Amino acid sequence: MSEEKNVVSRRSVLKGAAIGGAALAAGGALSTESASAATRLKGSTVKWTTRGGGATGDKIAKAVNDAFTKKTGAKVVAQQVNSDDFQNNFAQIMQGSPDDAFGWMAGYRSNHFGEMGLLEDLTREIGRLKGSLPTAAIKGATSPVSKKPYIIPTTYYPWGLHYRKSMVKDIGMNPEKINDWDDFVKLMTLTQKKGLVGYSLGAKGGWEAMGTFDILNARINGYKYHIDLLNGRAKWTDARTKETFKYFAQLIPFMNENVMDISWDGMRDLLLQKKTGAMMMGSWFANDFKAKSQADYDDLWVVPFPEINPKFGVDTIDAPLDGISVAKNGKNVTGGKALAEFWASPEGITEAVKAGDTNIYVSKSFDTSGYDAFNKQKLAVLASAKNIMFFLDRDARGDFAGPVVGPAIQSFIKKPSDINKILENTQAQWEALPKN
Amino acid sequence: MKTAATVKKNRSRRSLSKTDRFTLATFVGIPTLLQIILLWVPAVVTIILSFTYWNGIRLKDIQWAGIQNYKNIFFDNPLFYQALKNNAIWLAFFVLIATPLGILLAYQIDRGIKGHAFFESIYYLPVVLSLAVIGIIWNFMLQPGGFVQGLMGRDIGNAISIWGNPKINTWVILGIASWRHIGYIMLLYLSGLKSVDPALKEAAAIDGATDWQIFRKIILPTMQPVNIIIVVITLIESLRAFDLVYIIYGSPTIFPLLNLLVFQNFAGQGISMKGAAYAVILLLLCIVPIITYLRISFKEDLK
Amino acid sequence: MSTGVVQNEEYRNKQKRKDAFISTFIGIFAFVWIFPILWTIWTSLRPYNDIISYGIFSWPRHITLENYFNAIKEMQIGKYLLNSLIVTIPSVILTLFFGSLVAFVVTRYQYKFNLGLLLLFTAGNMLPIVLTYIPVFWMFIWVGELFGNRNMLYNNYGGLILVHVGFQVGFATFVLSSYMKTIPKEISESATIDGANVFRHYWNVILPLLRPALAALSVLMTTWIYNEFFWALVLMSDDAKRPITSALRRLQGQYVTDFNLLAAGAIIAAAPTVIMFFVLRKQFIAGLTLGSTKG
Repeated sequence: MSEEKNVVSRRSVLKGAAIGGAALAAGGALSTESASAATRLKGSTVKWTTRGGGATGDKIAKAVNDAFTKKTGAKVVAQQVNSDDFQNNFAQIMQGSPDDAFGWMAGYRSNHFGEMGLLEDLTREIGRLKGSLPTAAIKGATSPVSKKPYIIPTTYYPWGLHYRKSMVKDIGMNPEKINDWDDFVKLMTLTQKKGLVGYSLGAKGGWEAMGTFDILNARINGYKYHIDLLNGRAKWTDARTKETFKYFAQLIPFMNENVMDISWDGMRDLLLQKKTGAMMMGSWFANDFKAKSQADYDDLWVVPFPEINPKFGVDTIDAPLDGISVAKNGKNVTGGKALAEFWASPEGITEAVKAGDTNIYVSKSFDTSGYDAFNKQKLAVLASAKNIMFFLDRDARGDFAGPVVGPAIQSFIKKPSDINKILENTQAQWEALPKN
Repeated sequence: MKTAATVKKNRSRRSLSKTDRFTLATFVGIPTLLQIILLWVPAVVTIILSFTYWNGIRLKDIQWAGIQNYKNIFFDNPLFYQALKNNAIWLAFFVLIATPLGILLAYQIDRGIKGHAFFESIYYLPVVLSLAVIGIIWNFMLQPGGFVQGLMGRDIGNAISIWGNPKINTWVILGIASWRHIGYIMLLYLSGLKSVDPALKEAAAIDGATDWQIFRKIILPTMQPVNIIIVVITLIESLRAFDLVYIIYGSPTIFPLLNLLVFQNFAGQGISMKGAAYAVILLLLCIVPIITYLRISFKEDLK
Repeated sequence: MSTGVVQNEEYRNKQKRKDAFISTFIGIFAFVWIFPILWTIWTSLRPYNDIISYGIFSWPRHITLENYFNAIKEMQIGKYLLNSLIVTIPSVILTLFFGSLVAFVVTRYQYKFNLGLLLLFTAGNMLPIVLTYIPVFWMFIWVGELFGNRNMLYNNYGGLILVHVGFQVGFATFVLSSYMKTIPKEISESATIDGANVFRHYWNVILPLLRPALAALSVLMTTWIYNEFFWALVLMSDDAKRPITSALRRLQGQYVTDFNLLAAGAIIAAAPTVIMFFVLRKQFIAGLTLGSTKG
């Protein structure tokens, strides 16, 4: 009960206003658009891209897009693309002939390309959704440089410590009480003694392990230091950064042998098949537990990454914000904007949820009363944090995060004793970046 | 005789009508233009861009960087040396192991053993597969829960590290690459071998020559043109190799190769002209085999 | 004389034993060689649930083509195969056409630039592709803008075909010019004396003689272009227009847990080139050696 209350209070903070009728006003915004825009929309074709998501992703897109067509008379042509390839070619796709609207990520990834003139400024659309969008989410979607939003925020998810309650009970610990570093080490040690993986990690793609680094750095040195580090205001060679890697090194003996072989899906399978004690990951994979069986899903649990430095407690979390962006080079920008707005509107969200979307929406219109225990816990984990990070590859510039930090963490895991050299290289590469 | 031919030729050229000359110009012009526009102009653009800072989006953001990109690659980037090493190992492995194996295989199959056509086809089969398919096939074999891990009695909980294990991944990847390369070399060599007179071999054998001697003294010299092609194909393939690794890893960081570094830095979200600089370094490495090849192929013409 | 026969006999026997040994060895090795492919086919014939419930080494309870039907239906393999054809066939034809034109001129007419041209084409064939692909992308966009249609080349079959032609024409030229050097000059001379103009000289006299070389090359080029997947990832933003090898990348991500379905998709994608190889084996081998056995 108290947990639930916690959730509500936290959500109110995020929203910045109480749930009210404002959402309805936003829903009606489209109809009050100038008549010319509405007629222009009618009969036009809007193109939509879903990034990954498989059959469920297609189903959700179809439901929302069909509702949009019904409402506006604009036809939507949707496609699903391989998420990695889309990201690897993002700059090219946006310079070419992109689809009008697409699911994308807040942070550096939308800010940068918005400032470069590849994404549309969505100030007006967000303005109309103000009634249902919390101020914190709007702030998160707004570029600190140009003060413009290039993405309409829709969903977010926590990166937390995931484990199976039954397994934690098996080793004689209380699954509700994994609170500090000692608990965590004990959990890993006892799991490992049973011949299982203490802490599972995948780093094949180079980004997965950033989640572990982010949270360790925030726990040990605090949110401000972490953000400073990612933006060049603190140094990678700083003793504080080294301290973070000391803790990281303590995790390595507990890890699976094949860290570099697997990605997030490999980690998921380890937990799904009861082969690991704990892992640090975004909660999005929970759907796959549900798909396997209700019992597996009920067994899954998530908590904030344990406290290390009491000064910072568990005040920070990686909670990447996702949303909808509109491509400047799309053929039907008006249509794209209308579609993006619709996806983030209470009507759109209702359609998505009906079609099986289990994401947590930032919208105030989003009803969490029917939430199951795990989803409520996700909200609680989010609520426990005061500072929201977006994840390393969205908090840092693109020509640094992927090409430099990712490989640096990989080489560290391969050979922890090289850490000083690795950090020197990382700092040198930061300093060699063009200033822009 | 010679002069007569020259006269004839000159006459025929002079006698070309305007239409004929126009036809000839079109015949050569269109393909040449296509080559220049699609290959050589972009190559030059890349070379120029390698001396700039740019994120590849707005022209007005281009800044002169001098040799900064190269300096950064040479002095601060450990991935570069790993990539160089991997490319070098790849090259050495192909030259010293995979290619000779392909030749050996061809030599043995050429003895006319039973079912040689069948074997030929089997060994060649991987060559006609797309690397996209090859990536999927080998993933079935090696992933946690896959065939090889299963044979070793490993389930996903204690799966051994293959793709990410620096001690073996090089050999695994080279193994898969060779799976393709050996068949290619075999078939190239086989078709050449068929033109070698078997009586020659037999005679040498009766005179007491060992297999190795026969190969070195008779086969190798007869096969000179094929040998050159094979050497060049091996060099170029090793330096261009990257599709397979892209398919398996998706990113260049665990098994860096120069091509992959170009791709990671020259496209996508982290685009910078360091990617162009990597491409130029790769080009410089390719120039030696390219020139060698050209010199051998056009030996007579160049004289 | 008789000792020679005995020696010969001895040699033959020795060879026979050796052959038996080698063929056994090569046979065993061949099985290892083809095993990954067989394993993929095997996987594609088993239902997903069987593997999940009984493990990969379990004795099969069902053998079914269901995965193939599902792959065609769910993955829309047919659409992607069609895209592959739309790109591959014109690319091969244009490459051979252009290649034969250049080869024709440089071998039949004595111009000073001939050698330079051949060098340019042959060297171009060996350039690392990554050196060019981002500028090619910009160029496509820029040309499109110039004509008021961004999709004139980019995200268009035409652009992809153009790139394939540009990259393969060097090889075709090199091979065809080597081949053409073997066609006696007298044929050309008599054609010229008979008053044939340049076009007829090419079309009626030379082209028919090139037929074996063109056949061999076309088989080889079809395989190369069909199997290429990288350009389409860069130059095609619509998934629906991508050839099957590029689409396989998306399917690999999407169906990562359903190995059996993915295996069926991969087998279907591989089928065209494999079938072509078995049917046109002779042309295939001829294509490979054309370039090497010049003169």
